Amino acid sequence: MVGGKMEKNITKVDKGFVFFSYTMLALFSLLVAIPIINLVSVSVSGMSHVLSGNIQIWPKDFQIEAYKYVLSSKEFFMALNNSLYITFFGTILGVFLSVMAAYPLSKIHLPGRNKIMILFVFTMMFNGGIIPQYILMNKLGLLNNLWAVILPLSINVFNMLIVKNYFESIPEDIEEAAKIDGANQFTILIRVMLPLAIPVIATISLFYVVMYWNEYFYSRLFINEFTEIPLQVYLRMVIFEAMDPAGNFALSNANVKLAPQSIINTTVVLSMLPMIILYPFLQRFLLKGMIIGSVKG
Amino acid sequence: MAQKVAHGSKVDNLVVKPQRRISTRNGFRQLYFILFPALVMLVIFKYIPILGIVIAFQDFNIFDGVFKSPFVGLDHFERLFSNPDFYSVLSNTLIINFYKLLFWVPLPVIFALFLNEVRLLKLRSTFQTTMYLPHFLSWVIVGGIFVNILAVNGGLINELIELIGGKPIKFMYDTNWFRHVIVASSMWKEVGWGTIVYLAAISSVDPQLYEQAKIDGASKIRQIWHITIPSITSTIVLMTLISLGNILSNSFEQILVMYNPAVYEVADVIETYVFRTGIGQMEYSYTTAVGIFSGLVGFILVISANTLCRKFLGRSLW
Repeated sequence: MVGGKMEKNITKVDKGFVFFSYTMLALFSLLVAIPIINLVSVSVSGMSHVLSGNIQIWPKDFQIEAYKYVLSSKEFFMALNNSLYITFFGTILGVFLSVMAAYPLSKIHLPGRNKIMILFVFTMMFNGGIIPQYILMNKLGLLNNLWAVILPLSINVFNMLIVKNYFESIPEDIEEAAKIDGANQFTILIRVMLPLAIPVIATISLFYVVMYWNEYFYSRLFINEFTEIPLQVYLRMVIFEAMDPAGNFALSNANVKLAPQSIINTTVVLSMLPMIILYPFLQRFLLKGMIIGSVKG
Repeated sequence: MAQKVAHGSKVDNLVVKPQRRISTRNGFRQLYFILFPALVMLVIFKYIPILGIVIAFQDFNIFDGVFKSPFVGLDHFERLFSNPDFYSVLSNTLIINFYKLLFWVPLPVIFALFLNEVRLLKLRSTFQTTMYLPHFLSWVIVGGIFVNILAVNGGLINELIELIGGKPIKFMYDTNWFRHVIVASSMWKEVGWGTIVYLAAISSVDPQLYEQAKIDGASKIRQIWHITIPSITSTIVLMTLISLGNILSNSFEQILVMYNPAVYEVADVIETYVFRTGIGQMEYSYTTAVGIFSGLVGFILVISANTLCRKFLGRSLW
């Protein structure tokens, strides 16, 4: 009898806890979602509603004037173009270097492998800091050049290690078979290993795309020329320095038909669009990456 | 079974070894060749800047370069310790990052425990999809999102404040509020993502332990307290140690994006200070010294925290 009562109490406590968990998760999800929804709503609402602070969650007096306005500015496309350039070439170079470093380092018998590994991993913990990097770029003549952002970030030891782990999980027999057929290391890498490594290459490509697209600090550090700034730096000027999307620092008088906040939000929404589109893939590949990792562990 | 197979292949290895040695040796030169481009990039863009910290001991100027600038020993470090600006940015750095750590250590654990209770898979993945999203947004975009909801004129939060009869607050320009904004926005961005590592740790707990506890009549909360939490303690310690190691360099990009002269007094951290005075006023040597100091302190913090953990908890990073 007593035991039965206790059990009942426990299930009541358990149910309460489960309910509490659902509530907290729902609250947190709303806390994440509402600012994003509000951001979009303000970007597509009528000026009078935005100025009087009348937008809570859903848009009022729906219109896309702000989008027309931002999309007609040359400066927005200039910054977008710079970001696409950095992301495109950065990702190609990053994937290329990661694979080229990972393949030899996945060979356990390679002499000096451990020393070279330490050389790579050490840079995950220590770096020269802001000023030496700036001086290096200055000496290389790369200031105000998009490659100043692309080059230092293309060496990413974390991504290299992901590829290396993957290569290590490929059975050695496959390589042996190719060797017996007379293939050299270059052929094995390109003909045998690369096709097998497509899932992991897709994963790190996404990592590089996200990193280069979102990159802000190196662009701010190395690029001063307005025509060379990528989207994140441009966006920061629009949001925090009240810069008009056309590059004038007078957002408040920019356009009588539009609330400044709508123009800012439109620029933010357009800049986050690529990440939103990639997001389903990001989640899926992340899961795959974790499965690969757990099989290894 | 598995062991037998593994054993078998080991024997195979031994048998084939001499032949394999010869065949792989031919490939080594090719392998080094493949490795070469990445190694060159590593040396140029990682190791040259690391060697470049020598300018902290010089009176570096850009025309003489690293090789001709005169050495001045520890002058810049002496200047550092006698500079009130430095103490102000050091204390800002410590306050903001320990304030963050206060939430960053427990929140992902708590939400991972909550997520673990959700049995409806669809609902669970909806929660996860929503919570993970901000991680993929840049700091500039997160800054834009917060500027929008914190706007004095029509921002969602200030509307709520006015609704309950308060006065609107200039969150981004108010020295009393700015640090809270920094911590709140960083939790908004990263807590969801932070649950992943704990979810993985929780899922690897032996389910038999829970079965046993259920038979003994333990409630969910007791199960969490006595089984789940002890099983993931090492992960919590590890994650905390990593955050502690970054404590002096954390939040740099976020603050660089979100701060403004009105809040320098409370928000200027070591690296934003290095960035502004180093690049802006071309104080290359002095700010490199500041950078070295910050790296050193982070290193010492990790080492000592790690030693304490090994001594008292029997767990460590190394």
